[in-house]
Amino acid sequence: MEDPDVVIVGAGADGPAAAARLAREHGLDVLVLEAGPWHGNSKWPKPHADAGGTVSTDPDDLDGKLMDEQFTHREADANDPTWGYLRVGPADHSRAPWFRNLHQNAFIWQVSAVGGTSVHYFGNHPRAYPYAVDEQPHWPISYEELVPYYQLNEEVTSSQQAPITAKEEVFIEGAKNAGYDRIDTKNVTETGWRPQINSVEVPGRETSNGQPLDSEYDGSFSYDDGFRGDTLVGDHFQGSSTPVDAPVRDKARKSSNVGWVPRALDATADPEMGNVALRPNTFVTNVNTVEGAGALEATGVDYRDTWSGKTGTIEADAVVLAAGCIESPRLWLNSGLPDDGWVGKGLTTHWFDWVVGVYSDETIAEINPEARHMDPYVGQNSAVRFDKPGVGGMEDIGMSPGLVSYADYLFTRAGYSFDVEVDPDEPWDTRGYVVGEELKRRMSNYRQTKALLILTDDLPRQDNGVSLDGTFSDEHGAVPKVRWEPHPDDDAKRDELARIAARIHRAAGAEHVHRCDWPPLLLHMQSSMGMGRVLDSNAEAYNVDRLFVADHSALANGVGGPNPTNSGQALALRTADRIASLYF
Amino acid sequence: MEERDTPSMTRRGVMKGVGGIAALSMSNATIADAQAAITDSLPSDPHTADTYRSIVDAIVPRTPQLEEELGPEHVPGGLDVELEKFLIWDFNHFQEVRSEMITEKAGGASGPEMPRGMFEVTLDATGLGSDLDAVLDLAGLDLLDLVDLGLDGDALEEHLTFGPVERFEVAFADLDTAAEGPAAFEVTVETGDERYHRVLQNYPYAPVFTLVFDVVAAEFIARGENEDAVSRGNERFPAGGTFVQLSREDRLRCLWTIVEGGTVDRLDELLSPFLPQLGILKFVVMAVNGLHGFGYYTEWSGYGGTKTDTPNDRRLITPAGEVQSRKQSGYPGPAPGYAADWRHAVPGGFEDPPAEELTLPDDLTGDDVLDGIGGDT
Repeated sequence: MEDPDVVIVGAGADGPAAAARLAREHGLDVLVLEAGPWHGNSKWPKPHADAGGTVSTDPDDLDGKLMDEQFTHREADANDPTWGYLRVGPADHSRAPWFRNLHQNAFIWQVSAVGGTSVHYFGNHPRAYPYAVDEQPHWPISYEELVPYYQLNEEVTSSQQAPITAKEEVFIEGAKNAGYDRIDTKNVTETGWRPQINSVEVPGRETSNGQPLDSEYDGSFSYDDGFRGDTLVGDHFQGSSTPVDAPVRDKARKSSNVGWVPRALDATADPEMGNVALRPNTFVTNVNTVEGAGALEATGVDYRDTWSGKTGTIEADAVVLAAGCIESPRLWLNSGLPDDGWVGKGLTTHWFDWVVGVYSDETIAEINPEARHMDPYVGQNSAVRFDKPGVGGMEDIGMSPGLVSYADYLFTRAGYSFDVEVDPDEPWDTRGYVVGEELKRRMSNYRQTKALLILTDDLPRQDNGVSLDGTFSDEHGAVPKVRWEPHPDDDAKRDELARIAARIHRAAGAEHVHRCDWPPLLLHMQSSMGMGRVLDSNAEAYNVDRLFVADHSALANGVGGPNPTNSGQALALRTADRIASLYF
Repeated sequence: MEERDTPSMTRRGVMKGVGGIAALSMSNATIADAQAAITDSLPSDPHTADTYRSIVDAIVPRTPQLEEELGPEHVPGGLDVELEKFLIWDFNHFQEVRSEMITEKAGGASGPEMPRGMFEVTLDATGLGSDLDAVLDLAGLDLLDLVDLGLDGDALEEHLTFGPVERFEVAFADLDTAAEGPAAFEVTVETGDERYHRVLQNYPYAPVFTLVFDVVAAEFIARGENEDAVSRGNERFPAGGTFVQLSREDRLRCLWTIVEGGTVDRLDELLSPFLPQLGILKFVVMAVNGLHGFGYYTEWSGYGGTKTDTPNDRRLITPAGEVQSRKQSGYPGPAPGYAADWRHAVPGGFEDPPAEELTLPDDLTGDDVLDGIGGDT
């Protein structure tokens, strides 16, 4: 596409949603540039070994069986941060990942690819707490204004209540016994538990033998044999391309590359709509501007092909940054755009923690008479949650063992459990790293173990965020330097949620409860280019006309604790409407 | 079970490395052509291997004591699947340094270019009195400076050893700052009777970290923070230095001083010459621990002889559900689907009104905000 109306930098969770909206509703031509690879596209049959094609505009290029080959569901293959197929780095896997300078005991977990970090998310798709939107002074828009966009996004992404399997029954038992009520709304204003709203289709919507998907089911899980819907594999963090053999758009879990990208490309195939072109392996290195009437005006971008190193320039009437909470501000700063103090700052990440329960066979049998184990790899990774607006939330998690060993026992800020004294008044038995014989003992109980993820409502603070590193640079300029430290208020909220989590485990009958006391995990990143600070209520830059931000960095805060994907996408859809209204 | 690289295997690796750099310098060879030769195997110098082996042994040890209770599959540990190679591979593929970003100018970086000296280090312990003298020489300090830094020079001198390492050098290999592409580095480690030479495409963090761990361990012992006796002449990890002389738990306590103990600040001037930037060490300790999850408890060991090849060349030899750690966890490996009982918790689903009919309370303040701290609400 030589002359797009709009160029979008980044095809992660949010960029494709904005692109689809601009083309479908407003008839605009949109070019989306993505730094990472494109999985499941026939123009890139070996996306990590070969440069493949240049650009794709045709929904027929999408190939679900190719995606099945690429997403092996094996943990090291997928999730190793250095060489996994879901990492932040060039598509060429013989090269190292892109370096971020991080001077902390902390971990940044993102994916560069078409679909972005949503390629490995659990599909959790709750809305923000209304309280978090309406009561924060820096939010320039109301919750009610977002609701129509939430509804549109939930429709496109098949968002619905998640299925309850054996591990969730254990959580529900605990939550009920601890005195919490069920919440029956997406607009959460009170404390309680509820099934997750997940962007994953109904399990076994159509099974291959016409029988229900339950423990008696003995049919095929292949799309070619007639299976439709979720197959209940807990491999979402590995890309989860199920049902096997399904076309990309019919995969059950609607990560952005499954939910929004086909819909965006469909616009190109429709003569009544605008065109969308998507170009992976293309790292944007500069935002070009001219002096406008009293303000800078964005005119396009410079890019660099990650395989060939060739560079080029794209001109457009509007530029949209959707490169994520780290790369959007980095690009801004490397472009020398004006910074009045909040560019890259105010990063929120939900101040996570992780509380692990180990259960006995007998306890599980009492709750699930038909199941011998919880089997944390069966069912959706996270299908039930707890909400406490004003404090945060938590969610029940089951994963495969490599991820479990890391998250449960090998990621902490507390030190080694053999030296960590546990306050006898606290409702957990152990805390910190678990290693040696004890680690192997705990992992031998993997099938009876599950964790609760704490998602604390942390607020934007100017000390936290992304700046340009003064030491290292790569072929795209100065690398990002990332810093995030919790505020004491956030620690207090997190402690409260961890205690609730431990009590829910206890109330369900857990034999052993372990608090990990995680260091910062930069996974749910939000608000580093926040509305009300860097952006106005249209998500347009205060200081640069025709420059918008449509990714989670535009969120004004951490949406109160719920997973941010639905909010980021809903806001991107709204921003697409604002762009069309302002300039086209 | 505990296979190791023998010196002769390591020398074959050297030859591959030399071949790789020859290809790199040929005008018609691309980086990608040369890269396979450079990174297709992972022999490392024995000091590096034994240092990571001692960490693997502390985090995922052999546990014969679990055999009777849990079964014989719970006996083997990380060293039985050469997990140290996983750590070394990941650290050595951690950061690409681009040739075109390097400048010959000394001093701090200004703008995008990085000074060459930032990525080159030579530690020479021959001809000097002690390993500490070699570190002081590298850092441009003398024993009296240590007093100003609040360090006990005599104690450090007594405890610091890099084991058999007499000379350690990291240097750019055939750096051409006019050419674009990942720079290659030469790593040379000389012991009394061996010389190990490798060429790697990325900055060779793995061997550098092990020298840093020895210095940190010497200070850890000098401050009396070890809780168990130091074992000089550690027979299990004979090529290691001070770090491997610590007990299993003390090795981990020692690493933790980097995160919580102020080690990075106290040793800043001593350690700075070793690393392009010292600040990443806290992240490194996170990774040293966490990589056991990404390595041991995934199917990584199932890649057999290809497990330290570049990712596209790795082949699963043992099925994902049948590797050693998977037998210990009971996970069967990925499946296309599961026949499992499930239900919906909210009968009929959520019935929220459309946006225009939405009525939310006017007094949204959050539920208890912070009043409930203590978890009893």
